[in-house]
Amino acid sequence: MTTLTTQNPNDNYLNHTKGIKSWLFTLDHKRIGVMYLVCVLLAFLLGGIFAMMIRFQLLTPEGTFMTQDQYNQAFTVHGAVMVFLVIIPAVPAALGNFVLPIMLGAKDVAFPKLNLFSWYLWIFGLVFFLIALGAGGIDTGWTFYTPYSIDKASSMGGVIPALIGAFVLGFSSIFTGMNFIVTIHRLRPKGMTWFRMPLFLWATYATAIIQVLATPVIGITLLLLIVERSVGIGIFDPAMGGDPVLYQHFFWFYSHPAVYIMILPAMGVVSELISVHSHRHIFGYKFIAYSSISIAMFGFLVWGHHMFTSGQSALMNIIFSLITFSVSIPSAVKVFNWLATLYKGSISLNTPMLYGLSFIFIFSIGGLTGLHLATLATDIHLHDSYFVVAHFHYVMMGSALIGFLGGIHHWWPKMTGKMYHENWGRVSAILVFIGFNITFFSQFMMGSKGMPRRYATYVEMPEFQIYHIWSTAGSVILAVGFVICAIYLLHSVFAGKKAPANPWGGRSLEWQCPSPPPWDNFPEQPEVGDCYDYSVLEWNEEEQGYDWRKDAVHPGDEQKA
Amino acid sequence: MFSIFTSLFATTTQGAPANFWLPKQASTVAQSVDHTFFVITWICYFFLFVITAALIIFMIKYRRKGNDVIVKGPTHNTPLEIAWTILPLLLVVVIFVVGMRGYLDLQQAPEGSYDVQVTGQKWSWTFEHPKYGATQVAELTVPVNTPVRLLMTSNDVLHSVWIPDFRVKMDVIPGRYTSLWFEAIAVGEYNLNCAEYCGKDHSKMFATVRVIPKEDFEKTMIKLASEYEDMSVGQLPAYAINRLYNRCQSCHTLDGSESTGPSFKGLWDRVKSGDVNFISGEKLSNLYGESTTYEVPENYIRSSLLDPQSHIVKGYLGAMPSFQGQLKDKQITAIIEMFKHLDELTDAEGNITVNPDGTPRQ
Repeated sequence: MTTLTTQNPNDNYLNHTKGIKSWLFTLDHKRIGVMYLVCVLLAFLLGGIFAMMIRFQLLTPEGTFMTQDQYNQAFTVHGAVMVFLVIIPAVPAALGNFVLPIMLGAKDVAFPKLNLFSWYLWIFGLVFFLIALGAGGIDTGWTFYTPYSIDKASSMGGVIPALIGAFVLGFSSIFTGMNFIVTIHRLRPKGMTWFRMPLFLWATYATAIIQVLATPVIGITLLLLIVERSVGIGIFDPAMGGDPVLYQHFFWFYSHPAVYIMILPAMGVVSELISVHSHRHIFGYKFIAYSSISIAMFGFLVWGHHMFTSGQSALMNIIFSLITFSVSIPSAVKVFNWLATLYKGSISLNTPMLYGLSFIFIFSIGGLTGLHLATLATDIHLHDSYFVVAHFHYVMMGSALIGFLGGIHHWWPKMTGKMYHENWGRVSAILVFIGFNITFFSQFMMGSKGMPRRYATYVEMPEFQIYHIWSTAGSVILAVGFVICAIYLLHSVFAGKKAPANPWGGRSLEWQCPSPPPWDNFPEQPEVGDCYDYSVLEWNEEEQGYDWRKDAVHPGDEQKA
Repeated sequence: MFSIFTSLFATTTQGAPANFWLPKQASTVAQSVDHTFFVITWICYFFLFVITAALIIFMIKYRRKGNDVIVKGPTHNTPLEIAWTILPLLLVVVIFVVGMRGYLDLQQAPEGSYDVQVTGQKWSWTFEHPKYGATQVAELTVPVNTPVRLLMTSNDVLHSVWIPDFRVKMDVIPGRYTSLWFEAIAVGEYNLNCAEYCGKDHSKMFATVRVIPKEDFEKTMIKLASEYEDMSVGQLPAYAINRLYNRCQSCHTLDGSESTGPSFKGLWDRVKSGDVNFISGEKLSNLYGESTTYEVPENYIRSSLLDPQSHIVKGYLGAMPSFQGQLKDKQITAIIEMFKHLDELTDAEGNITVNPDGTPRQ
């Protein structure tokens, strides 16, 4: 390392080098994180536009403005973009890349070049998705179920480019996971023991294990599907003696663990939000840490619950139902521990905390309705209905994405060095919460009453129109919340107040370096202490942030004494 | 408002009407499924209430005042944490057992169930009654208070039979059979939807389950099985448009508008004159005549039904499945007669104006 430590205090990772090339070829984890963040948010906009198209189509039973084919493309693109391009990379690749090495006290991830390569793979994945849209579109649903996806006469021409896109994105995800595993194992500085790591790192670590172990399976599956569709080898095609249900096993063997790739990092974010913004030591650190690991492990054993009506044997259904319930326990443990953390805390109702509290409420509904779906007798009725759509939006969007939004607001001052407008932030968070619940709670009700998913029209069932109208109205509120959020965040970049090093009073290491952090994160090795002990901090009026108490015992002093 | 509130907490009795969460109960298993549903839902209400109450109370009581606050509270409490790990575990084991037992009831069709063979095909349902040799399209007639077993397969992609009022669902898969059973407890009409995405007209793959009194069933089936056999050619068009056209409906309109396949409106005129171009570049009129592909125009229609891929009309994808083995000769004749007399069977908007017996529709 060169002696970057004696440079001027205004030097940071954003202005250390200049020009577009200094970004596109950067090996700095913070810049790669910011590039991911920008790209993921743009992809979120794209997926969101398709979501609004879906909602407006369903305002009337006959469908308002799309043909059947257009609608089928809209929900396919919405699902594929949101899953592969947005939620999977959102927290780990965007926030994780920025925060993980700093939280750990490291200067970068273990393999910076591989890290940049992951980002380029994400871009390639996006390009293939766009090619798929141009090459005849894609209408298979994001699940690519066989034999529809291999039948050239029915499904559209964009299937193969989309499969290649998902394949490439899989590698992007694997490389990020690998990088994080090695970083956490090898780059922890002295004093940073496993049980001193912030819980966000435990969650990211658990996620990385799933990414590395499960994603190769989807890679192989997608390759088989490409070969089956283009050449016809008869593995999934019943006309050639293949088994279309085998595809579902392969697909969900990855895609169920992928659900935890999406939700675990968001849970990690929420553990930070709840503790920091209530200035209260996290309750039951070890239970939360172990629950992340056990969710990752149980997550591998439950894929068959996506197939309760697929014709798999009754015995398998019963076994998968039983194991599925086991996942609910560590999730419940987390919720109880978060609540216990809030107990006797000093709860600041600022924007990140509002997202954190929203997460607990929404995730509770998402998790509890999972009980209806894990239970065999009720799932038979609810399978492939809007009840399922509502359930996974409560988990994927209401939880994973709201955790992501909370994380963005929590680390925004650190990433940009600017404060956003707090009151607009609160307004937006409340609109998102209200809009989300109106949009998706009505979907629970229509689903259990008999509305099937992936329907472009519902002419024979006009009684569901009222629920669709509610849902669409909610989605408009949700969209307004997001637009406000985009406006004040962008505004803050150009005209926001300068952020202090530690605006919230956090104890993990990222709050010990300046905002934005310097090029090499820490001028000198930071002191690793209990990252949830806030008693050493006090408010500094001059800086408008938190600082060490005059009389605080520094972790380094402890060791010397 | 009050009725919505009470139905939230409904415990169900056999044949209960629709409530806040679930549609009406119309099969023997519905009551037990709904019971399980409400046991779980009550557990959800309880936990959601506890969590939300804690959130709200803590938000109010412990709201931050000022900036510089040191808070002290327990960092962990192992007995408490073990307790809230074990108790939910016991609870979910109970839910699992209740759900599994309900599921086993759904699995096993009673001895002597009435069998129906179901075929899913983009985008319509065909129901065959082996006992009577009768075939129905987009509607399924079954007797009340009788266990019925559906033996199902698909001719193309995945489909799924879902009858919400009966609380039953099962995927329909090409290359194998799946089955489900139900026993309807009330005479009436019920929706049957396709629940597994199957392409363009997935949302139109709809059928009506018509539950009729036991004593009428045999009579209805015998009539259905033989009604066209005794008809004169003059009676066939009205039969075809009512009984066979619903199989074509998802792709072929009656009002001239475009869809997956060519509209039936004016189709006979185009076929008769040979004014149809194929994607191979051939023209239909060149294929007519002695010792050619189609001796008479009627044979082209017949071939289009039995071997649709041999000539695909220009501008279309060739999505039509073969009806080989599914249509009797007299039914093919009926379809051809339907084309010839389409103007007498429909109005300008493409609405059907006659009943199966030829009387004008109200």
